[in-house]
Amino acid sequence: MPRFLSRRGFLITGAALGGTALIAAVGGVGYLATVDVDGLDGFVDGDRAVLNAFLTIQGDGRVVIQVPRTEMGQGIHTGLAMVVAEELDLPFDDRISVAFPTEPLPAYANWFNVLQQRPEEASGPAVWVGRRVLGLLGFIATGASASTMALWHPMRVAGAAARQMLLAAGSARLGVPAAQLTTADGFVRHEASGRSLFYGELAREAALLPPPDDPVLKPAADWRLIGKSQRRVDLPAKVRGEQVFGMDVVLPDMLHASIRHAPVFGARVSRIANEAEVRAQPGVKDVAVIDGRQVAVVADSWWQAEQAASLLDIAWTQTEAAGVTSAEMSARLKTALGSAEPYENINEGDVEAAIAGSTSPMIDATYEVPFLTHACMEPMNATVLVRQDGSVEAWVPSQSPLGVRTGIGRGTGWAGLEPTSITCNITMNGGAFGRRSDLDVTAQAAFLAARHRGRPVKVIWSREEDIGRGLYRSHAAARLRAALGPDGLPVAYDALVAAQSIIHSVAGRNLPFNPGPDGDSLSVEGLDKLHYTIPNRRVRSQNVPSHMPIGFWRSNGFSFNTFFTESFVDECALAAGADPLAYRRTLLRDSPRHLAVLNRAAELAGWGSPMAQGRGRGIAVEECYRSVIAQVAEVTVAEDGEITVDRVFGAIDVGMVINPDAVIAQMEGGIIFGVTTALMSAITLDGGTVTESNFHDFPVQRMANAPAVEVAIVDSGLPPGGAGEPGIVPVAAAIANAIHAATGRRIRALPLAVTETVGERRTRTVLRSAAT
Amino acid sequence: MVELMVNGTRVSVETDAGKPLLWVLREDLDLLGPKYGCGVAQCGACRVLIDGESTPSCVTPIDSVAGASVVTVEGLVQADGTLSLVQQAWIDEQVPQCGFCQPGFIIAATALLEATPQPTDAQIDEAITNICRCGTYPRIRRAIHRAATMLAER
Ligand code: FES
Ligand code: FES
Repeated sequence: MPRFLSRRGFLITGAALGGTALIAAVGGVGYLATVDVDGLDGFVDGDRAVLNAFLTIQGDGRVVIQVPRTEMGQGIHTGLAMVVAEELDLPFDDRISVAFPTEPLPAYANWFNVLQQRPEEASGPAVWVGRRVLGLLGFIATGASASTMALWHPMRVAGAAARQMLLAAGSARLGVPAAQLTTADGFVRHEASGRSLFYGELAREAALLPPPDDPVLKPAADWRLIGKSQRRVDLPAKVRGEQVFGMDVVLPDMLHASIRHAPVFGARVSRIANEAEVRAQPGVKDVAVIDGRQVAVVADSWWQAEQAASLLDIAWTQTEAAGVTSAEMSARLKTALGSAEPYENINEGDVEAAIAGSTSPMIDATYEVPFLTHACMEPMNATVLVRQDGSVEAWVPSQSPLGVRTGIGRGTGWAGLEPTSITCNITMNGGAFGRRSDLDVTAQAAFLAARHRGRPVKVIWSREEDIGRGLYRSHAAARLRAALGPDGLPVAYDALVAAQSIIHSVAGRNLPFNPGPDGDSLSVEGLDKLHYTIPNRRVRSQNVPSHMPIGFWRSNGFSFNTFFTESFVDECALAAGADPLAYRRTLLRDSPRHLAVLNRAAELAGWGSPMAQGRGRGIAVEECYRSVIAQVAEVTVAEDGEITVDRVFGAIDVGMVINPDAVIAQMEGGIIFGVTTALMSAITLDGGTVTESNFHDFPVQRMANAPAVEVAIVDSGLPPGGAGEPGIVPVAAAIANAIHAATGRRIRALPLAVTETVGERRTRTVLRSAAT
Repeated sequence: MVELMVNGTRVSVETDAGKPLLWVLREDLDLLGPKYGCGVAQCGACRVLIDGESTPSCVTPIDSVAGASVVTVEGLVQADGTLSLVQQAWIDEQVPQCGFCQPGFIIAATALLEATPQPTDAQIDEAITNICRCGTYPRIRRAIHRAATMLAER
């Protein structure tokens, strides 16, 4: 049992373990009306006073805030540390550091993601049980833009509880009632006597006190950190070049491995024609087939491993997928759009009757997007050590320690070894975008480490393996239909998406259970447009399997569906003869929150002001991750079709903001990421194989023609929403709509342009031929 | 055996003559600031200054830099720990997100400002060809301008 389980939590967990969770839950409904926060008890370990699961104060007064979420650039370590520092009355300076805890405590579980209930509001037996189960499983994962939503309240409570414990310790030490004490700047003060005590002096006593039952939270009016931009805690190391990413983990006696995967997913290793030759290369220690599917070369350095791996002559088994091309995938998707019985995700009113009854022509459009990959700047890697006693330790830039544990179990299992214990060190991630929630690399490293017990093995994938042999965003298509009423507004809206089920593919690889391929909730994100007032609405989906492994990809279904739907709304506006902004305003008449964000973006962009010939402006709006975002793109299309996105204006309502500058950074970065998706990148299949291999043929936005970005935060006063993903969501539609405004051409497939190389590391984007 | 200066210190390395400088720095000299991002001179994450010139170290064989002076991102920090002007501008503008690409950008910007102390936007576009997947370009541009201003005021 981990040391941190709160005493209260321990009793309840004990009951759950005894199989009486349900009885306890039902019997305890009254008591559990509000779900409490786990992990508030402390302990002392040497000169470290661990006040609770989220906070450690050292004797020298240095404070370590335990943030059980992955920092992958979004600034979550800073935002959540701010919340604790706020309640603790700690100055937010370099005395504070952040660590990803290695113990998978229940308090760290991401039950918000599964149960979709905010901790500050969650109640009832289902939450109680779900929370216990997910806590025991150690379900810790960073994704779905949920970290702030999941942890800001529990960490606030943890900070407040620790402050009260420090006050109680101060009261005992000074012999005055706690009510006469205040806290400021990391000190407990007694104003009347002028005495004060440093937190570092009190922390050890405080850690052993019982936590308050109901910690008193600081009123929002007194906040000095929350809502005010603070500098990121991780940036000094990052500009000094001292930040240790997964790839920078160096351990004594470490071995290095490079991997080759099958060119066609699903193929197996038939034989290695030149194993002896590869084994004889300098530094090479091992050539191993992993799970029958990959070949690893293990050497004294990664350079040697990669050099030797590049010599490998591997024969792969033939698979049925060996003939699949992108054109064929596209045809499969189009066929699926004609399927007789797609899965019905939403059906309100009677879409068919409304379409049949409409006198105006139906708007009917089909859209498509290609496979994509994440191309995180830090290539995939994992380091695992299997000790002689069977204990395992891993250092992985991962979005989930549970994923790492599972990967270790799988990899050591391939080697016939059962770990006696597992310790996960989650390192800084050089980008993640959903990619690092998979366990593939960890399993490979664990397998190799089990073959080389006592020596850590670091696996690094080359960029070529990452782009051409990794994980992908679905190739997807949708058919959208609408019937307009006499006022030009839709009386019926019908959406059908064809895509490979994301959840089914992810679960098939990583989970012991699989919800089945139909009705994938992630594949339909962004299709419902519930914020638009439309009387008849239907959303359907059709799973289109392929041999490609599909992974979570920044904003999942929104990454394609919002391009489809917000392009389509423009098409409806055009058919109705309306201005796209005015049309959306009318559609948002019952959604004031969305309307405010839309209006703010339009105002930022100066919507309606005249633009020169060849220039155009497009707008798009979406609700995602409990945030609302709108963007306006301005483009210039030259005579020869070269397209430049000059500026993007964004407005976002993420509810309550903890660190405004981090939200703005996510919007800026999301927009640039979205421009890449809109204009440039595609993964194409030929002979079942991905043809792209590196940044020369998987182009991403660079500095030279990147748009200028302007972002405004709209304050709705709502609880926090997500900020990591929304930024990319409306961009492609806003750009496609702007291209239409500039040229009269409606492009319904991504990427909207072809990327041409001009000189070294320099590209330009030219619109695809009108035929698309 | 190849001898060179790295961050002001003379070093000699015994390694395969064709091994790229990037992997010599990372594996033989424990300098982990320069990053591997592509290995083919596309992304710039591995950039270092070679005799003052910003160069992708992933395609620079070690034997080609014999006798040269190499500076990595770690070498920009002064002996007393003070950040270089460019690094400070990076903090002031809160540039990095994940940060993996940033050592390469900081090196590229350092070389740019050395040659062109007051670069225009067009000169920045011309000089900076690195990739940042997190999309920090707007802040990189601001930070370069800020560093230029700091340089002028110094
Ligand atoms: S790693 Fe050298 S340019 Fe990308
Ligand atoms: S900050 Fe992440 S790649 Fe640039």
